[in-house]
Amino acid sequence: MSLDFVVYMMVNTLLVIAAAPFFVSFIKKVKAWTQGRRGPSVFQTYANLAKLLKKEVIYSPHSSRIMRVTPYVNIAAALVASLFVPLAFVPEPVGGIGNIILFLYLLALGKFFMALSGLDAGSSFGGMGSSREMSISAVIEPTTIIVFAALAFVFKTLNIFTIFSVTAGSSTPVTPTLILLGISLFIILIVETSRIPVDNPETHLELTMIHEGMILEQSGRNLALMELSSGIKLTLLIALLINLVLPFGLGTTLTVAGIAIAAVLFLLKGVLLGGIIGLFESSMSKMRFFRLPSLFAMAFFFSTLTIIIEVFT
Amino acid sequence: MILTAFVVATLVAIGLVAICHTNRQMNAVAIAHGIFFVAVAVAMLATVSLPVNTVLLGSQYFSIDHFGLFEILIAVVIFMLGAIYAGGYVESLIATGELEKGSLKLFSGAWCLLLLLIVLAFSADNLALFWIFAELTTILSAMLIAVLSAKENIDAAIKYILIASTAMLFSFIGFIFLFEVSRTTLGTGSLNWTELMQHAGSFPPAMMIAVFAFVFIGFGAKSGIFPFHTWLPEAHVKAPSAVSAVLSSVLLNIGIYAIIRTAALVHQTSAMTIVSPFILLFAILTSGIAAFSMLPQRNLKKLIAFSSIENMGITLIGLAIATPVAVFWVIFHVMAHAFTKASLFLSAGILHRQYHSKFSGEAPDDIRDVFRLQPLAAWGIVIGGLAIIGMPPSPVFFSKIFILLQLVGYSLGALLIVLVLIFIAAGAFGYFVITSFMQRESPESSEAPEASGQTGSGVPPLSSGSPLDFEQYETPLGMKIPIIALIAIVIVLGIWFPSGETAFISRIVADLRF
Amino acid sequence: MTDMASIEGIIKILFVVVIIAAAYIISTRNILSLVSVYSLQSLTLAAIALALWIADGKIVLLEIAIVTIASKVLIIPYFIATIQERIRIKRDIEFHYLNPTTSLLVSMVMMLVIYFALSRILPTAPGTPSLLFFGAVIGISLMLMGMMVTFSRKRAITKVMGYLSMENGVLFFGMFVTELPLIIEFLIIIDLIILVLLTTILAVGIDSTLEEYHNRLHRFHLWEDKEDAS
Repeated sequence: MSLDFVVYMMVNTLLVIAAAPFFVSFIKKVKAWTQGRRGPSVFQTYANLAKLLKKEVIYSPHSSRIMRVTPYVNIAAALVASLFVPLAFVPEPVGGIGNIILFLYLLALGKFFMALSGLDAGSSFGGMGSSREMSISAVIEPTTIIVFAALAFVFKTLNIFTIFSVTAGSSTPVTPTLILLGISLFIILIVETSRIPVDNPETHLELTMIHEGMILEQSGRNLALMELSSGIKLTLLIALLINLVLPFGLGTTLTVAGIAIAAVLFLLKGVLLGGIIGLFESSMSKMRFFRLPSLFAMAFFFSTLTIIIEVFT
Repeated sequence: MILTAFVVATLVAIGLVAICHTNRQMNAVAIAHGIFFVAVAVAMLATVSLPVNTVLLGSQYFSIDHFGLFEILIAVVIFMLGAIYAGGYVESLIATGELEKGSLKLFSGAWCLLLLLIVLAFSADNLALFWIFAELTTILSAMLIAVLSAKENIDAAIKYILIASTAMLFSFIGFIFLFEVSRTTLGTGSLNWTELMQHAGSFPPAMMIAVFAFVFIGFGAKSGIFPFHTWLPEAHVKAPSAVSAVLSSVLLNIGIYAIIRTAALVHQTSAMTIVSPFILLFAILTSGIAAFSMLPQRNLKKLIAFSSIENMGITLIGLAIATPVAVFWVIFHVMAHAFTKASLFLSAGILHRQYHSKFSGEAPDDIRDVFRLQPLAAWGIVIGGLAIIGMPPSPVFFSKIFILLQLVGYSLGALLIVLVLIFIAAGAFGYFVITSFMQRESPESSEAPEASGQTGSGVPPLSSGSPLDFEQYETPLGMKIPIIALIAIVIVLGIWFPSGETAFISRIVADLRF
Repeated sequence: MTDMASIEGIIKILFVVVIIAAAYIISTRNILSLVSVYSLQSLTLAAIALALWIADGKIVLLEIAIVTIASKVLIIPYFIATIQERIRIKRDIEFHYLNPTTSLLVSMVMMLVIYFALSRILPTAPGTPSLLFFGAVIGISLMLMGMMVTFSRKRAITKVMGYLSMENGVLFFGMFVTELPLIIEFLIIIDLIILVLLTTILAVGIDSTLEEYHNRLHRFHLWEDKEDAS
């Protein structure tokens, strides 16, 4: 393991942890603006997390060990996954780090434990959230696989690092395949981070909540970890999309100034994408559960199209 | 020149319709318009040597050859007779309130314009131009269907437009292909039929298959070929009978005309051996679906409409065989079917006036005492029915028998199937005529369904509420003459083959190079 | 020469936009956005025609672009939007045979089939530009996708939208496979406008009761009833 990589690990992890709460509250802010409200400050999530970390943890008497383990598994999975997606600086890949499939499985691991913990406390809302989350995951799974397969197919590699260094080095800004992949990835992002047509991250309305239902029983420090890990997930998917479609500024060599510029650029591009997500959420209404497959089919369609185009041209 | 005359005549007619006030005046305009067209067409037949060159027509995109003139003659005669018939028919529609007075102008105007468009379509040399005229005829005839402004009519018209136009786009793709083929082989692209015909032998067969497939989808839908035939029964049933006659006798021919022309192009390449089994397959499917739909049919107009589909299938069978004799009889069949079917629809129109049957097409007809009340229409249906099922010596008999004889050399199995289908269709027709026309006015028979209605079957009795005593509908002379004329034409066509007619059709076959 | 390459790149991106619009037309249930996406698609088509014109210099393409913008970007969408406002139908949520998800999957399969069928038929020697070939494939696919919309929707107004997007496919195909004389293109557009007018006027009748329908026709001055008035 080279020095480069050690630096990369530290920088990337710090950047992810620092940026995640910001993106979460920024999207909230955008949504508030479109609704004509002022909305909470963009640093609100930092304060929330700090507050939660100080609070004591209360477990339901019916809960088992799963409940206690889940926050740590979740944050661990999220942090390890964060190593797979370079935000500002792409080093040479080392070992299996950067493998797309492993990345997906890390995300799935966190999700799995979250669903288990939802069931664990035995509250009805948690169970509902878990069952919905799992049904959606089962339906979105083929789409996710196809989207990432298309990604791998286009760049002829399974490694995210290699993909990013290709996009960072390419001269043509936009290609048809990238547009199609971008749309597919955007849909995946919406689904995976429980955004509006699928789930509403803001409500605690029993009829609609999915993600919130599952973490309803978490409290204190554990809740903070859960929130943070879902924020990290959002940041990672944003980074994936940004560095594919708008890769300019992404550094491939290690310099302090380069990293600083790339990090700032990343934040700016993230703000742009966060704005798009917020507008998208505001313009949509929540879809009925059984109509969701048509959203997924769209992503499926575009990514298959990408593969077709790649095969035949 | 000639086309300009047609266009000017139509414009004048539409202008006159716009200033007319009564139905009688508008009808007179429509009849005069029809007679003018017939006169010009007959004059063309008698004096001009075919194909009519471009100087006479006034545009390089048009040219009338034997085939075109043949179709034009059929169209103008049927339109003229239809216009004569429409006078009394429309009067009665207005009397019962089925047609609003306000839409009279629309009806007459669209009628005249439709005839013009059909004539232009048949005289177009450029296939794309032909396509556009064919498409416009769809729209105008849909307007004529929707003129009754009942909800079912609008429904049928929309269905007709959407299915026919959607499919027609495919045939446009076919023509684009054809253009590309001609561009790559000839250097300059052309869609002019005469030019294409000269060079068709050198076109690549694979492309020609694609061309034919696309054109067939489109114009197959226009002429009611399976699987796009679904619009046809509804549209034909719900249209006013004069329009039904035109739809069935003339508009279906447009589709068949285009298919025959394209097949003539394909025939000159080696692709015909691949294409013709497919034509045969679809022809048999079409006839089969139609024959089996006719069997349980209790609605006269729907029965006649399905019979049109069946006859289109038979036309295509002849085309699939593609020997000169078969094509000769295909073209003869087109003519025979047109006149016979027009007489049937016009007679059915009188019966509809008599019994005030609903135009919905779902309800069975309630026909009683038909020979006492409407002897002419009844005999029209009987004679027309006998002619359409191919009883000798009707013209359809000859075309069917010769097409079938040609089929012997092509495929014996297909022959058997087609024979069975023709018998089924004939049986269906005969069964309907015998059962409905034998019905007498009897109180018992009309009370029986009411009794069954009271047992709580949930189905409303079909004939409840219909008056037992039908008042006789006074059929005006104007509605009788066209039927008599058409039946006379059918009989003459069946028993007298003048050498001029045979030579004319042979010339068409020769022009098509079959 | 770099100019050509960049134009080709732009055209490829526009291809993708056209396909995305088609996919949206298949799957959306909101009629108003259907109309705007249709006009976006037509606009893209016009842009492609313009790009081809810059590349080829054939004046016909410029004319096609102008005609397309005038008719399909402005007149027809405006007309349909007006009609749609009057009949107050906002969504079309009923489907025959195919729901949007299946339609998308089916259209994918169809694209592949068309690709293979066309690669056999069209004379694509290695020298011929693949752009034109792709244009042909997308054109026919667009048509079939439009056809699925026409057959799977229940409302007449959405059926018309399907027909319109089919027609876009035909234009697309014609643009890439060969160049047709403008007069024909023009006549097709006229035909299209008449068809849309008639069908939507009739469709207004379908989605309401008969009396209302007559009132509407009177309001549009399409059904004159002078003798009653006098």
